[in-house]
Amino acid sequence: MKTFEEKWTAWLDGQLSGRELSDFEAALPDKAAAQAEKAEAKKLGTLLKRELTAHPLKNEEFFSHQLREGIVQGRGGQRRERARRSPTSNWWTVPRLLWAGTASLAIFLICTVLVMRQQRPAEESQYLTQILNARVDPVVSPNATVSIFEVKQDRVTVLWTEGLQSLPADYAAK
Amino acid sequence: MHRSLAVVISVLVLTMTAVPASQAAEKVWSGLVIAENVTEPQPIPSELTRIEGSLKRFFGYNQFQVIGQSRKTLKTGQEDWLATSKFFGLHVDARGETQGGYVLNLKLYKEKELLLETDAKLSKRSPLVIKGPQVGGGQLLLVLVVQ
Repeated sequence: MKTFEEKWTAWLDGQLSGRELSDFEAALPDKAAAQAEKAEAKKLGTLLKRELTAHPLKNEEFFSHQLREGIVQGRGGQRRERARRSPTSNWWTVPRLLWAGTASLAIFLICTVLVMRQQRPAEESQYLTQILNARVDPVVSPNATVSIFEVKQDRVTVLWTEGLQSLPADYAAK
Repeated sequence: MHRSLAVVISVLVLTMTAVPASQAAEKVWSGLVIAENVTEPQPIPSELTRIEGSLKRFFGYNQFQVIGQSRKTLKTGQEDWLATSKFFGLHVDARGETQGGYVLNLKLYKEKELLLETDAKLSKRSPLVIKGPQVGGGQLLLVLVVQ
């Protein structure tokens, strides 16, 4: 069952026929006004058909259009490239973060190894006690000599004196 | 999250401050030792146990007896002290702390007579032994150990 609006649209388009057409026209309250409206609708349809049809492009217009599109696309590409290279762009992507982390770790390890290699001799010298200088009274012990030994295995440093004045056993008293 | 971070930071700070504090107060044992060869040697004093092998190997004696000693706690590394026996005196003058040890000036006296003077950088992990004069059939040794 069609509604009045559907029948009205079909009547304007001239799609009603036979008994359906006669029944609809009989049901119209003002047939003359309806006919005038139908004529206006037809005119409007014709006008729209004529005006909205796409004009075929002439050769000059076509090339001009193609050129403009090319320029627009080129500008867009340049803009994208600039954005890609720009430091303010989204630089810290996950892969870049990973690369930066790995590179930092590698640099840290290299520095650590270098520093540890440089410090090792210093550490060894600090490891053992060092005799900076030694003096024996030349009046009391004129022939005394001094030698230094470092027993690295036992971590003991020995200051070895020879020729000091010998003393009697009484001097061993507490 | 913030609480755990604060706890971690606190622990780190405490650890970092505790390590120098523990390093600051160390004891230096200074001893006058008579080394001898006897038929029945006495057990070696506990302070020398660590270097017993070196002493026996190096000096060739089987008994080591302490005749004078001093145990000094170093706080500033600028202290001085004296280890004495009846006839000998070892004056130790600490002249500052270095990385891993102390700079010391040592003077060995026989009564009031200066026999030997030396400057040494005493490592915290390495004892110092000084061979002194012959005393009877034995040998006077000066030993310094950071404990």
